[in-house]
Amino acid sequence: MRTLKKFAKFDRFDFLTYPAVLFVFLLFTWMLVVYVTNSIPAFQREGWNVYFTNVWNASECPDKEYYGILAAIWGSLYTSIIALLVALPLSISYSIFVVDYAPKRLRGILEITSDIMAGLPTIIYGIWGAFFLVPFLKEWVMMPVYDYLSFIPIFSQKPVSGFSFFSAGVLLGIMITPFVSAVVREAYATIPHTYREAAYSLGLTRYEATKILVGYVKPAMISGTILGFGRAIGETVAVSLVVGNAFNVSADPFSPGYTISSLIATQYGNSFIYTHMTSVLYAAGLFLFLVGLVITLLGMYVLRRWKKNVSI
Amino acid sequence: MYQFDMRRIKEYSFLGVICILSFLMIFPLFHIIFTVFADGIGTLVSTGPVFITGTLDEGGIGPAILGTIILAFFASLIGIPIAFAVGVYAYEYPHSVIGKATTALLEITQEFPTILVGLFVTQILVLPMGTYSAIAGAFALAIILMPYVAVYTKEAMSQIPFTFREAAFSIGVPKVKTVFLIIAPIAKRGILTGLLISVAKVAGETAPLLFTAGGLYQTYPDSLTQPVGAIPLLIYTLVQSPSPADHAMAWGASLVLLLIFLAAFIPLRLSIKEVRL
Repeated sequence: MRTLKKFAKFDRFDFLTYPAVLFVFLLFTWMLVVYVTNSIPAFQREGWNVYFTNVWNASECPDKEYYGILAAIWGSLYTSIIALLVALPLSISYSIFVVDYAPKRLRGILEITSDIMAGLPTIIYGIWGAFFLVPFLKEWVMMPVYDYLSFIPIFSQKPVSGFSFFSAGVLLGIMITPFVSAVVREAYATIPHTYREAAYSLGLTRYEATKILVGYVKPAMISGTILGFGRAIGETVAVSLVVGNAFNVSADPFSPGYTISSLIATQYGNSFIYTHMTSVLYAAGLFLFLVGLVITLLGMYVLRRWKKNVSI
Repeated sequence: MYQFDMRRIKEYSFLGVICILSFLMIFPLFHIIFTVFADGIGTLVSTGPVFITGTLDEGGIGPAILGTIILAFFASLIGIPIAFAVGVYAYEYPHSVIGKATTALLEITQEFPTILVGLFVTQILVLPMGTYSAIAGAFALAIILMPYVAVYTKEAMSQIPFTFREAAFSIGVPKVKTVFLIIAPIAKRGILTGLLISVAKVAGETAPLLFTAGGLYQTYPDSLTQPVGAIPLLIYTLVQSPSPADHAMAWGASLVLLLIFLAAFIPLRLSIKEVRL
Protein backbone atom coordinates (compact mmCIF):
# COMPACT_ATOMS: atom_id res chain seq x y z
CA MET A 1 0.00 0.00 0.00
CA ARG A 2 2.81 2.34 0.91
CA THR A 3 4.65 1.70 -2.33
CA LEU A 4 1.47 2.37 -4.25
CA LYS A 5 1.06 5.70 -2.52
CA LYS A 6 4.65 6.59 -3.26
CA PHE A 7 4.08 5.65 -6.85
CA ALA A 8 1.00 7.80 -7.05
CA LYS A 9 3.18 10.83 -6.35
CA PHE A 10 4.69 10.23 -9.77
CA ASP A 11 2.26 12.17 -11.94
CA ARG A 12 2.39 12.81 -15.65
CA PHE A 13 4.69 15.78 -15.16
CA ASP A 14 7.38 13.52 -13.77
CA PHE A 15 6.88 10.99 -16.54
CA LEU A 16 7.47 13.74 -19.08
CA THR A 17 10.51 15.35 -17.49
CA TYR A 18 12.37 12.60 -15.61
CA PRO A 19 13.60 10.78 -18.74
CA ALA A 20 15.15 14.02 -20.05
CA VAL A 21 16.88 14.73 -16.74
CA LEU A 22 18.08 11.16 -16.57
CA PHE A 23 19.36 11.38 -20.13
CA VAL A 24 21.40 14.50 -19.39
CA PHE A 25 22.99 12.91 -16.32
CA LEU A 26 23.71 9.69 -18.20
CA LEU A 27 25.25 11.62 -21.07
CA PHE A 28 27.63 13.39 -18.72
CA THR A 29 28.59 10.16 -16.97
CA TRP A 30 28.99 8.45 -20.32
CA MET A 31 31.39 11.18 -21.38
CA LEU A 32 33.50 10.66 -18.27
CA VAL A 33 33.45 6.89 -18.85
CA VAL A 34 34.55 7.29 -22.47
CA TYR A 35 37.50 9.47 -21.43
CA VAL A 36 38.55 7.16 -18.60
CA THR A 37 38.32 3.92 -20.57
CA ASN A 38 40.08 5.33 -23.61
CA SER A 39 42.96 6.74 -21.63
CA ILE A 40 43.62 3.56 -19.62
CA PRO A 41 45.99 2.09 -22.28
CA ALA A 42 48.16 5.20 -22.07
CA PHE A 43 48.37 4.98 -18.28
CA GLN A 44 49.12 1.27 -18.43
CA ARG A 45 51.92 1.84 -20.89
CA GLU A 46 53.53 4.97 -19.51
CA GLY A 47 52.06 5.57 -16.05
CA TRP A 48 52.06 9.15 -14.79
CA ASN A 49 54.80 9.99 -17.28
CA VAL A 50 51.98 10.83 -19.66
CA TYR A 51 51.45 14.00 -17.66
CA PHE A 52 54.92 14.67 -16.31
CA THR A 53 57.30 14.31 -19.22
CA ASN A 54 57.80 16.44 -22.28
CA VAL A 55 58.40 14.05 -25.17
CA TRP A 56 56.50 13.51 -28.39
CA ASN A 57 57.95 10.59 -30.30
CA ALA A 58 55.42 9.80 -32.97
CA SER A 59 56.89 6.86 -34.81
CA GLU A 60 55.80 4.32 -37.38
CA CYS A 61 57.25 1.66 -35.12
CA PRO A 62 54.92 1.24 -32.10
CA ASP A 63 57.78 0.32 -29.75
CA LYS A 64 59.50 3.64 -30.27
CA GLU A 65 56.36 5.70 -29.63
CA TYR A 66 56.42 7.69 -26.41
CA TYR A 67 54.34 10.66 -25.41
CA GLY A 68 54.28 13.08 -22.51
CA ILE A 69 52.01 16.12 -22.54
CA LEU A 70 53.77 18.24 -19.94
CA ALA A 71 54.35 20.97 -22.53
CA ALA A 72 50.63 21.17 -23.25
CA ILE A 73 49.70 21.30 -19.56
CA TRP A 74 52.29 24.01 -18.98
CA GLY A 75 51.02 25.97 -21.98
CA SER A 76 47.41 25.75 -20.85
CA LEU A 77 48.28 27.07 -17.40
CA TYR A 78 50.65 29.75 -18.68
CA THR A 79 48.28 31.14 -21.33
CA SER A 80 45.32 31.08 -18.94
CA ILE A 81 47.25 33.00 -16.29
CA ILE A 82 48.31 35.63 -18.83
CA ALA A 83 44.66 35.78 -19.91
CA LEU A 84 43.55 36.47 -16.35
CA LEU A 85 46.18 39.19 -15.94
CA VAL A 86 44.68 40.86 -19.01
CA ALA A 87 41.04 40.20 -18.16
CA LEU A 88 40.92 41.12 -14.46
CA PRO A 89 41.82 44.83 -14.57
CA LEU A 90 39.59 45.27 -17.63
CA SER A 91 36.56 43.55 -16.18
CA ILE A 92 36.82 45.17 -12.74
CA SER A 93 37.13 48.66 -14.25
CA TYR A 94 34.33 47.91 -16.64
CA SER A 95 32.04 46.73 -13.85
CA ILE A 96 32.72 49.82 -11.74
CA PHE A 97 32.27 52.13 -14.72
CA VAL A 98 29.05 50.52 -15.92
CA VAL A 99 27.41 50.33 -12.50
CA ASP A 100 28.53 53.63 -10.96
CA TYR A 101 29.58 56.17 -13.53
CA ALA A 102 28.29 55.47 -17.02
CA PRO A 103 25.29 57.54 -18.16
CA LYS A 104 22.24 55.36 -18.67
CA ARG A 105 22.44 55.27 -22.44
CA LEU A 106 26.16 54.48 -22.54
CA ARG A 107 25.53 51.81 -19.94
CA GLY A 108 23.10 50.01 -22.24
CA ILE A 109 25.55 50.17 -25.14
CA LEU A 110 28.39 48.86 -23.00
CA GLU A 111 26.32 45.96 -21.72
CA ILE A 112 25.21 44.95 -25.20
CA THR A 113 28.76 45.23 -26.52
CA SER A 114 29.99 42.96 -23.75
CA ASP A 115 27.26 40.41 -24.49
CA ILE A 116 28.12 40.43 -28.19
CA MET A 117 31.76 39.81 -27.29
CA ALA A 118 30.73 36.85 -25.17
CA GLY A 119 28.66 35.32 -27.96
CA LEU A 120 30.91 36.14 -30.93
CA PRO A 121 32.03 32.94 -32.72
CA THR A 122 35.47 32.08 -31.40
CA ILE A 123 36.80 31.45 -34.89
CA ILE A 124 36.39 35.18 -35.61
CA TYR A 125 38.62 35.94 -32.62
CA GLY A 126 40.93 33.31 -34.08
CA ILE A 127 41.28 34.83 -37.55
CA TRP A 128 41.65 38.32 -36.08
CA GLY A 129 44.24 37.00 -33.66
CA ALA A 130 46.26 35.19 -36.28
CA PHE A 131 46.29 37.94 -38.90
CA PHE A 132 46.16 41.12 -36.83
CA LEU A 133 46.93 40.60 -33.13
CA VAL A 134 50.03 38.40 -33.53
CA PRO A 135 51.89 40.73 -35.94
CA PHE A 136 50.73 43.73 -33.90
CA LEU A 137 51.99 42.33 -30.59
CA LYS A 138 55.25 41.24 -32.19
CA GLU A 139 55.90 44.67 -33.61
CA TRP A 140 54.77 46.78 -30.66
CA VAL A 141 55.31 44.63 -27.57
CA MET A 142 57.64 41.72 -28.15
CA MET A 143 60.35 43.49 -30.15
CA PRO A 144 60.54 46.56 -27.86
CA VAL A 145 60.65 44.31 -24.79
CA TYR A 146 63.42 42.25 -26.39
CA ASP A 147 65.33 45.36 -27.39
CA TYR A 148 65.25 47.02 -24.01
CA LEU A 149 64.70 44.28 -21.45
CA SER A 150 66.61 41.33 -22.87
CA PHE A 151 68.89 41.35 -19.80
CA ILE A 152 65.96 39.72 -17.94
CA PRO A 153 66.44 35.96 -18.51
CA ILE A 154 62.90 35.14 -19.68
CA PHE A 155 63.06 37.83 -22.38
CA SER A 156 66.54 36.92 -23.61
CA GLN A 157 65.41 35.00 -26.71
CA LYS A 158 64.59 36.98 -29.80
CA PRO A 159 60.89 36.53 -30.63
CA VAL A 160 60.74 34.71 -33.95
CA SER A 161 57.24 34.52 -35.34
CA GLY A 162 55.05 36.21 -32.77
CA PHE A 163 52.97 33.05 -32.35
CA SER A 164 53.51 32.48 -28.64
CA PHE A 165 52.14 31.95 -25.14
CA PHE A 166 51.89 35.72 -24.84
CA SER A 167 49.79 36.20 -28.00
CA ALA A 168 47.50 33.34 -26.99
CA GLY A 169 47.20 34.75 -23.47
CA VAL A 170 46.26 38.22 -24.67
CA LEU A 171 43.71 36.86 -27.13
CA LEU A 172 42.23 34.61 -24.44
CA GLY A 173 42.16 37.57 -22.08
CA ILE A 174 40.09 39.55 -24.56
CA MET A 175 37.78 36.56 -25.03
CA ILE A 176 37.15 35.82 -21.33
CA THR A 177 36.77 39.44 -20.20
CA PRO A 178 32.99 39.51 -20.86
CA PHE A 179 32.52 36.32 -18.83
CA VAL A 180 34.55 37.56 -15.88
CA SER A 181 32.92 40.97 -15.94
CA ALA A 182 29.43 39.45 -16.07
CA VAL A 183 30.07 37.85 -12.68
CA VAL A 184 31.75 40.91 -11.18
CA ARG A 185 29.21 43.36 -12.59
CA GLU A 186 26.26 41.38 -11.31
CA ALA A 187 27.74 41.24 -7.83
CA TYR A 188 28.80 44.90 -7.83
CA ALA A 189 25.32 45.99 -8.87
CA THR A 190 23.73 44.21 -5.91
CA ILE A 191 25.51 46.41 -3.36
CA PRO A 192 22.67 48.40 -1.80
CA HIS A 193 22.46 52.08 -2.58
CA THR A 194 22.57 52.94 1.12
CA TYR A 195 26.15 51.70 1.30
CA ARG A 196 27.14 54.18 -1.38
CA GLU A 197 25.23 56.97 0.36
CA ALA A 198 26.92 56.10 3.62
CA ALA A 199 30.34 56.22 2.00
CA TYR A 200 29.70 59.59 0.37
CA SER A 201 28.13 61.03 3.52
CA LEU A 202 31.48 60.58 5.23
CA GLY A 203 32.95 62.90 2.63
CA LEU A 204 34.87 60.18 0.82
CA THR A 205 35.99 60.79 -2.73
CA ARG A 206 34.68 58.50 -5.43
CA TYR A 207 38.01 56.67 -5.42
CA GLU A 208 37.84 56.02 -1.68
CA ALA A 209 34.19 54.98 -1.82
CA THR A 210 34.84 52.59 -4.68
CA LYS A 211 37.75 51.05 -2.80
CA ILE A 212 35.40 50.19 0.05
CA LEU A 213 32.65 48.90 -2.23
CA VAL A 214 35.05 46.76 -4.23
CA GLY A 215 36.21 45.07 -1.03
CA TYR A 216 32.62 44.04 -0.51
CA VAL A 217 32.47 42.00 -3.76
CA LYS A 218 35.88 40.36 -3.42
CA PRO A 219 34.45 36.81 -3.30
CA ALA A 220 32.59 37.48 -6.55
CA MET A 221 35.85 38.59 -8.09
CA ILE A 222 37.54 35.41 -6.95
CA SER A 223 34.67 33.41 -8.38
CA GLY A 224 34.80 35.34 -11.66
CA THR A 225 38.54 34.72 -11.82
CA ILE A 226 38.10 30.99 -11.31
CA LEU A 227 35.32 30.74 -13.90
CA GLY A 228 37.34 32.84 -16.34
CA PHE A 229 40.28 30.51 -15.84
CA GLY A 230 37.99 27.58 -16.66
CA ARG A 231 36.85 29.27 -19.87
CA ALA A 232 40.41 30.10 -20.87
CA ILE A 233 41.77 26.62 -20.32
CA GLY A 234 39.04 25.03 -22.43
CA GLU A 235 39.16 27.37 -25.42
CA THR A 236 40.40 25.59 -28.54
CA VAL A 237 40.37 26.99 -32.05
CA ALA A 238 41.34 30.61 -31.43
CA VAL A 239 44.24 29.50 -29.25
CA SER A 240 45.47 26.84 -31.64
CA LEU A 241 45.70 29.48 -34.37
CA VAL A 242 47.95 31.81 -32.36
CA VAL A 243 49.89 29.74 -29.82
CA GLY A 244 52.37 28.39 -32.36
CA ASN A 245 51.89 24.69 -31.66
CA ALA A 246 55.35 23.62 -30.52
CA PHE A 247 56.34 21.30 -27.67
CA ASN A 248 58.01 23.74 -25.39
CA VAL A 249 58.19 24.08 -21.62
CA SER A 250 59.67 27.51 -21.24
CA ALA A 251 59.03 30.54 -19.05
CA ASP A 252 59.75 32.78 -22.03
CA PRO A 253 56.31 34.22 -22.84
CA PHE A 254 57.36 35.06 -26.40
CA SER A 255 58.19 31.50 -27.39
CA PRO A 256 55.70 29.24 -29.16
CA GLY A 257 53.94 26.50 -27.21
CA TYR A 258 50.99 24.16 -27.02
CA THR A 259 47.85 23.98 -24.92
CA ILE A 260 45.96 20.79 -24.09
CA SER A 261 43.01 21.72 -26.27
CA SER A 262 45.14 22.84 -29.21
CA LEU A 263 47.17 19.63 -28.88
CA ILE A 264 43.99 17.61 -29.24
CA ALA A 265 42.73 19.78 -32.09
CA THR A 266 45.92 19.52 -34.13
CA GLN A 267 46.99 15.94 -33.37
CA TYR A 268 43.79 13.92 -33.05
CA GLY A 269 43.03 14.00 -36.78
CA ASN A 270 46.16 12.04 -37.69
CA SER A 271 46.56 10.09 -34.47
CA PHE A 272 44.99 6.95 -35.94
CA ILE A 273 48.03 6.15 -38.06
CA TYR A 274 49.97 5.62 -34.82
CA THR A 275 49.31 2.85 -32.33
CA HIS A 276 49.45 4.63 -28.99
CA MET A 277 48.80 8.30 -29.70
CA THR A 278 44.99 8.26 -29.55
CA SER A 279 44.95 6.98 -26.01
CA VAL A 280 47.40 9.67 -24.91
CA LEU A 281 45.14 12.33 -26.40
CA TYR A 282 42.20 10.91 -24.45
CA ALA A 283 44.37 11.08 -21.34
CA ALA A 284 44.99 14.74 -22.17
CA GLY A 285 41.23 15.18 -22.58
CA LEU A 286 40.65 13.50 -19.23
CA PHE A 287 43.02 15.96 -17.60
CA LEU A 288 41.15 18.88 -19.15
CA PHE A 289 37.83 17.29 -18.15
CA LEU A 290 38.80 16.94 -14.48
CA VAL A 291 40.52 20.31 -14.21
CA GLY A 292 37.51 21.99 -15.82
CA LEU A 293 35.14 20.18 -13.48
CA VAL A 294 37.07 21.08 -10.33
CA ILE A 295 37.53 24.70 -11.39
CA THR A 296 33.86 25.20 -12.24
CA LEU A 297 32.70 23.59 -9.01
CA LEU A 298 35.12 25.73 -7.02
CA GLY A 299 33.98 28.91 -8.73
CA MET A 300 30.31 28.04 -8.17
CA TYR A 301 31.00 27.17 -4.53
CA VAL A 302 32.70 30.50 -3.79
CA LEU A 303 29.87 32.42 -5.46
CA ARG A 304 27.12 30.44 -3.70
CA ARG A 305 28.72 30.88 -0.30
CA TRP A 306 29.04 34.60 -0.84
CA LYS A 307 25.44 34.91 -2.02
CA LYS A 308 24.25 32.99 1.00
CA ASN A 309 26.25 35.03 3.48
CA VAL A 310 25.32 38.48 2.28
CA SER A 311 21.88 39.50 3.32
CA ILE A 312 20.78 42.30 1.07
CA MET B 1 46.25 71.59 1.87
CA TYR B 2 48.76 69.05 0.59
CA GLN B 3 46.55 66.17 1.66
CA PHE B 4 43.57 67.66 -0.15
CA ASP B 5 45.53 67.86 -3.38
CA MET B 6 46.69 64.27 -3.10
CA ARG B 7 43.10 63.15 -2.76
CA ARG B 8 42.13 65.12 -5.81
CA ILE B 9 44.95 63.72 -7.88
CA LYS B 10 44.06 60.19 -6.82
CA GLU B 11 40.42 60.82 -7.58
CA TYR B 12 40.98 62.06 -11.10
CA SER B 13 43.61 59.50 -11.99
CA PHE B 14 41.26 56.80 -10.71
CA LEU B 15 38.39 58.03 -12.86
CA GLY B 16 40.71 58.32 -15.83
CA VAL B 17 42.04 54.80 -15.45
CA ILE B 18 38.53 53.37 -15.05
CA CYS B 19 37.32 55.09 -18.21
CA ILE B 20 40.36 54.10 -20.26
CA LEU B 21 40.24 50.45 -19.18
CA SER B 22 36.49 50.20 -19.81
CA PHE B 23 37.05 51.59 -23.26
CA LEU B 24 39.94 49.18 -23.80
CA MET B 25 37.69 46.28 -22.89
CA ILE B 26 35.17 46.92 -25.66
CA PHE B 27 37.67 48.29 -28.17
CA PRO B 28 38.71 44.84 -29.51
CA LEU B 29 35.15 44.11 -30.64
CA PHE B 30 35.02 47.24 -32.76
CA HIS B 31 38.46 46.55 -34.12
CA ILE B 32 37.46 42.98 -34.97
CA ILE B 33 34.31 44.12 -36.75
CA PHE B 34 36.28 46.79 -38.61
CA THR B 35 39.06 44.38 -39.63
CA VAL B 36 36.67 41.68 -40.77
CA PHE B 37 34.75 44.21 -42.87
CA ALA B 38 37.88 45.79 -44.32
CA ASP B 39 39.50 42.49 -45.25
CA GLY B 40 36.37 40.58 -46.18
CA ILE B 41 34.45 43.04 -48.27
CA GLY B 42 36.99 42.89 -51.13
CA THR B 43 36.51 39.14 -51.56
CA LEU B 44 32.77 39.47 -51.30
CA VAL B 45 32.53 42.24 -53.89
CA SER B 46 34.99 40.79 -56.40
CA THR B 47 33.33 37.36 -56.33
CA GLY B 48 29.79 38.65 -56.28
CA PRO B 49 26.77 36.48 -55.52
CA VAL B 50 28.74 33.35 -56.40
CA PHE B 51 30.47 33.71 -53.03
CA ILE B 52 27.20 32.87 -51.29
CA THR B 53 25.99 30.18 -53.68
CA GLY B 54 29.05 28.65 -55.35
CA THR B 55 31.22 25.74 -54.25
CA LEU B 56 34.82 26.25 -53.12
CA ASP B 57 36.22 25.67 -56.62
CA GLU B 58 33.92 28.34 -57.99
CA GLY B 59 35.17 30.68 -55.25
CA GLY B 60 32.12 30.39 -53.02
CA ILE B 61 31.14 29.05 -49.63
CA GLY B 62 27.62 27.83 -50.47
CA PRO B 63 28.02 24.28 -49.14
CA ALA B 64 29.44 25.64 -45.87
CA ILE B 65 26.49 27.98 -45.38
CA LEU B 66 24.03 25.19 -46.08
CA GLY B 67 26.06 22.90 -43.79
CA THR B 68 25.83 25.38 -40.92
CA ILE B 69 22.07 25.64 -41.43
CA ILE B 70 21.67 21.85 -41.50
CA LEU B 71 23.81 21.41 -38.39
CA ALA B 72 21.99 24.14 -36.46
CA PHE B 73 18.60 22.76 -37.47
CA PHE B 74 19.28 19.17 -36.46
CA ALA B 75 21.12 20.22 -33.31
CA SER B 76 17.97 22.14 -32.34
CA LEU B 77 15.77 19.19 -33.26
CA ILE B 78 17.75 16.86 -31.00
CA GLY B 79 18.65 19.25 -28.22
CA ILE B 80 15.68 21.56 -27.69
CA PRO B 81 12.97 19.05 -26.61
CA ILE B 82 15.28 17.41 -24.08
CA ALA B 83 16.65 20.71 -22.85
CA PHE B 84 13.17 22.19 -22.53
CA ALA B 85 12.04 19.27 -20.35
CA VAL B 86 15.17 19.57 -18.22
CA GLY B 87 14.66 23.32 -17.83
CA VAL B 88 11.04 22.80 -16.81
CA TYR B 89 12.13 20.19 -14.30
CA ALA B 90 14.77 22.49 -12.79
CA TYR B 91 12.11 25.23 -12.56
CA GLU B 92 9.55 22.96 -10.91
CA TYR B 93 11.88 21.43 -8.31
CA PRO B 94 14.47 24.07 -7.44
CA HIS B 95 14.96 22.76 -3.91
CA SER B 96 14.89 18.99 -4.31
CA VAL B 97 18.17 17.07 -4.42
CA ILE B 98 17.84 16.10 -8.08
CA GLY B 99 16.68 19.61 -8.96
CA LYS B 100 19.75 21.16 -7.33
CA ALA B 101 22.02 18.59 -8.95
CA THR B 102 20.43 19.34 -12.32
CA THR B 103 21.03 23.07 -11.93
CA ALA B 104 24.64 22.42 -10.95
CA LEU B 105 25.13 20.07 -13.90
CA LEU B 106 23.74 22.69 -16.27
CA GLU B 107 26.21 25.27 -14.95
CA ILE B 108 29.09 22.81 -15.27
CA THR B 109 28.22 21.85 -18.83
CA GLN B 110 27.91 25.49 -19.86
CA GLU B 111 31.55 25.97 -18.88
CA PHE B 112 32.65 22.65 -20.34
CA PRO B 113 35.48 22.71 -22.93
CA THR B 114 33.70 22.19 -26.26
CA ILE B 115 36.56 20.22 -27.83
CA LEU B 116 35.88 17.45 -25.30
CA VAL B 117 32.30 17.16 -26.54
CA GLY B 118 33.63 16.78 -30.08
CA LEU B 119 36.06 14.04 -29.10
CA PHE B 120 33.34 12.22 -27.18
CA VAL B 121 30.97 12.22 -30.15
CA THR B 122 33.79 11.05 -32.40
CA GLN B 123 34.27 8.07 -30.14
CA ILE B 124 30.60 7.11 -29.85
CA LEU B 125 29.30 8.01 -33.34
CA VAL B 126 32.02 8.67 -35.90
CA LEU B 127 34.19 5.62 -35.20
CA PRO B 128 31.27 3.12 -35.16
CA MET B 129 29.81 4.66 -38.33
CA GLY B 130 33.21 4.75 -39.98
CA THR B 131 32.72 8.23 -41.42
CA TYR B 132 32.31 11.85 -40.42
CA SER B 133 28.67 12.80 -40.73
CA ALA B 134 26.20 15.64 -40.42
CA ILE B 135 24.34 13.74 -37.72
CA ALA B 136 27.50 13.42 -35.58
CA GLY B 137 28.17 17.15 -35.91
CA ALA B 138 24.56 17.97 -35.07
CA PHE B 139 24.68 15.70 -32.01
CA ALA B 140 27.87 17.38 -30.76
CA LEU B 141 26.26 20.80 -31.17
CA ALA B 142 23.08 19.55 -29.47
CA ILE B 143 25.08 18.57 -26.37
CA ILE B 144 26.49 22.08 -26.19
CA LEU B 145 23.10 23.64 -26.91
CA MET B 146 21.19 21.82 -24.18
CA PRO B 147 22.48 23.55 -21.01
CA TYR B 148 21.90 27.00 -22.52
CA VAL B 149 18.34 26.23 -23.57
CA ALA B 150 17.56 24.60 -20.23
CA VAL B 151 18.86 27.53 -18.22
CA TYR B 152 16.99 30.06 -20.36
CA THR B 153 13.78 28.04 -20.02
CA LYS B 154 14.18 27.79 -16.28
CA GLU B 155 14.84 31.49 -15.82
CA ALA B 156 12.08 32.64 -18.13
CA MET B 157 9.56 30.50 -16.25
CA SER B 158 10.86 31.56 -12.84
CA GLN B 159 9.91 35.13 -13.67
CA ILE B 160 6.22 34.30 -13.90
CA PRO B 161 4.52 35.30 -10.62
CA PHE B 162 3.70 32.45 -8.28
CA THR B 163 0.07 33.54 -8.07
CA PHE B 164 -0.58 32.12 -11.57
CA ARG B 165 0.36 28.69 -10.27
CA GLU B 166 -1.79 29.11 -7.19
CA ALA B 167 -4.73 30.17 -9.32
CA ALA B 168 -4.34 27.13 -11.57
CA PHE B 169 -3.99 24.70 -8.67
CA SER B 170 -6.95 26.21 -6.85
CA ILE B 171 -9.29 25.29 -9.68
CA GLY B 172 -7.87 21.78 -9.80
CA VAL B 173 -5.59 21.92 -12.83
CA PRO B 174 -3.00 19.13 -12.56
CA LYS B 175 0.68 20.02 -12.37
CA VAL B 176 1.55 18.88 -15.86
CA LYS B 177 -1.13 21.13 -17.39
CA THR B 178 -0.26 24.05 -15.12
CA VAL B 179 3.36 23.99 -16.17
CA PHE B 180 3.08 23.13 -19.85
CA LEU B 181 -0.21 24.83 -20.76
CA ILE B 182 -0.28 27.85 -18.43
CA ILE B 183 3.19 28.87 -17.21
CA ALA B 184 5.13 27.95 -20.36
CA PRO B 185 2.85 29.91 -22.73
CA ILE B 186 3.02 32.97 -20.46
CA ALA B 187 6.83 32.72 -20.48
CA LYS B 188 6.80 32.03 -24.24
CA ARG B 189 8.64 35.17 -25.23
CA GLY B 190 11.53 34.67 -22.82
CA ILE B 191 11.86 31.01 -23.69
CA LEU B 192 11.85 31.62 -27.45
CA THR B 193 14.43 34.40 -27.24
CA GLY B 194 16.63 32.17 -25.12
CA LEU B 195 16.26 29.37 -27.64
CA LEU B 196 17.27 31.56 -30.55
CA ILE B 197 20.25 33.10 -28.72
CA SER B 198 21.47 29.62 -27.83
CA VAL B 199 21.14 28.41 -31.43
CA ALA B 200 22.92 31.54 -32.73
CA LYS B 201 25.76 30.90 -30.30
CA VAL B 202 26.06 27.21 -31.09
CA ALA B 203 25.98 27.76 -34.86
CA GLY B 204 29.27 29.64 -34.54
CA GLU B 205 31.07 26.83 -32.70
CA THR B 206 34.12 25.27 -34.33
CA ALA B 207 35.84 22.93 -31.89
CA PRO B 208 33.03 20.35 -31.52
CA LEU B 209 32.82 20.01 -35.32
CA LEU B 210 36.53 19.37 -35.89
CA PHE B 211 36.33 15.58 -35.79
CA THR B 212 32.60 15.08 -36.23
CA ALA B 213 31.28 17.03 -39.23
CA GLY B 214 34.31 16.41 -41.42
CA GLY B 215 33.89 19.23 -43.91
CA LEU B 216 32.45 19.28 -47.42
CA TYR B 217 33.02 22.28 -49.63
CA GLN B 218 33.18 21.11 -53.25
CA THR B 219 29.61 19.80 -53.51
CA TYR B 220 26.39 20.45 -51.69
CA PRO B 221 25.55 17.95 -48.93
CA ASP B 222 22.79 15.48 -49.77
CA SER B 223 22.79 13.00 -46.89
CA LEU B 224 22.77 13.19 -43.12
CA THR B 225 25.15 10.25 -42.79
CA GLN B 226 27.78 11.88 -45.02
CA PRO B 227 30.29 14.59 -44.08
CA VAL B 228 29.05 18.16 -44.09
CA GLY B 229 30.82 21.52 -43.96
CA ALA B 230 30.27 24.54 -41.75
CA ILE B 231 31.39 28.17 -42.05
CA PRO B 232 33.50 28.23 -38.84
CA LEU B 233 35.14 24.94 -39.78
CA LEU B 234 35.92 26.24 -43.27
CA ILE B 235 37.50 29.39 -41.82
CA TYR B 236 39.62 27.30 -39.45
CA THR B 237 40.89 25.19 -42.35
CA LEU B 238 41.55 28.15 -44.64
CA VAL B 239 43.43 30.19 -42.01
CA GLN B 240 45.92 27.36 -41.57
CA SER B 241 46.62 27.17 -45.30
CA PRO B 242 49.73 29.05 -46.45
CA SER B 243 48.12 30.50 -49.59
CA PRO B 244 47.02 34.17 -49.57
CA ALA B 245 44.05 33.28 -51.80
CA ASP B 246 42.76 30.97 -49.06
CA HIS B 247 43.25 33.73 -46.51
CA ALA B 248 41.12 36.05 -48.64
CA MET B 249 38.43 33.35 -48.74
CA ALA B 250 38.71 33.01 -44.95
CA TRP B 251 38.14 36.74 -44.47
CA GLY B 252 35.15 36.65 -46.81
CA ALA B 253 33.68 33.69 -44.95
CA SER B 254 34.33 35.47 -41.62
CA LEU B 255 32.42 38.49 -42.87
CA VAL B 256 29.45 36.30 -43.82
CA LEU B 257 29.56 34.55 -40.43
CA LEU B 258 29.87 37.86 -38.58
CA LEU B 259 26.95 39.39 -40.48
CA ILE B 260 24.74 36.36 -39.82
CA PHE B 261 25.69 36.42 -36.15
CA LEU B 262 25.16 40.14 -35.65
CA ALA B 263 21.87 40.10 -37.59
CA ALA B 264 20.57 37.31 -35.37
CA PHE B 265 22.09 38.33 -32.05
CA ILE B 266 21.54 42.07 -31.77
CA PRO B 267 17.72 42.12 -32.22
CA LEU B 268 17.41 39.17 -29.83
CA ARG B 269 19.66 40.81 -27.28
CA LEU B 270 17.70 44.07 -27.50
CA SER B 271 14.44 42.24 -26.85
CA ILE B 272 15.52 40.95 -23.44
CA LYS B 273 17.15 42.59 -20.47
CA GLU B 274 19.92 40.15 -19.77
CA VAL B 275 21.58 37.14 -21.31
CA ARG B 276 23.07 34.09 -19.70
CA LEU B 277 26.59 33.65 -20.88
